[in-house]
Amino acid sequence: MDSTLLWYTTRGAGAVSLVLLSAVVVLGILSVLRVQSTAWPGFLTIGLHRNLALMTVVFLALHIVTAVVDPFTHLGWLTAVLPFSSYYRTFWLGLGTVAFELLLAVVLTSLARGFIGQVGWRLVHWLSYASWPIAVLHGFGTGTDAWSAWLFALQAVCIVAVLAAIGYRVVAGSRDPLAAARSSFQAGVDRREAR
Amino acid sequence: MGIEDTTQERVRARDAAMRLLNRLTTGAAVSALVAVGFFAAVSAHTIPGTASSSTASTTTASSSSASTTSSGLQSSTTPVTSSSSSGVVVSGGS
Repeated sequence: MDSTLLWYTTRGAGAVSLVLLSAVVVLGILSVLRVQSTAWPGFLTIGLHRNLALMTVVFLALHIVTAVVDPFTHLGWLTAVLPFSSYYRTFWLGLGTVAFELLLAVVLTSLARGFIGQVGWRLVHWLSYASWPIAVLHGFGTGTDAWSAWLFALQAVCIVAVLAAIGYRVVAGSRDPLAAARSSFQAGVDRREAR
Repeated sequence: MGIEDTTQERVRARDAAMRLLNRLTTGAAVSALVAVGFFAAVSAHTIPGTASSSTASTTTASSSSASTTSSGLQSSTTPVTSSSSSGVVVSGGS
């Protein structure tokens, strides 16, 4: 395959992966907040979050494979697996490897949630909050188009969307339906222990 | 009777939501595929990478001619190939 075509595909797939990953993070936050209505039940958010996460892995795989097999770059497969092992922009490319591996860990543990348990799954799932900014930094540092107007605008939209979702979560707080019952039970236990 | 109606209504709402989920997932997959092509075209338009290509071809040309020079025999046995190849090297080298 033409090296230039592979290079263009790498860049296109990278941009799409960032958009998908941002959408996954936003949907994940919305699912925690239990955003739902009659027309949009809660499981729809969770289902879309899961499907888009799997889709992100596919497009990230396309992004990585086209970059590695490009004969012009000579990146090698080790670069895709071992962070900071690339001769080319070692740090920034390494961030991409780290982001991908974190996302892979999140997705795999989500698929094996029944085996690893809720607590383990939740601990690993928090890594997604690290994966996304690392991926954004990778795009800014490594991407050929990082400072092109179109990709800069795309990255800005993704950043604003995720920050808005995080801000909304912080402001809205926990939407745990049993939060009031839990806190009143805990207060009762505390009172009993204080006597 | 009221409970049955409510249950049926919830089942219908769930089915509708599942259909919506399938449509959204399919739409997202198709859109993402189209977007890869679109962004690839945009990136090709903004930074086509012609400078990199010419650098690569120059490197290849110089490396291949270097091997020709090192072998020595190539230039005398195949005059046409070696003369054009070595011509590039000589002009590039000087």
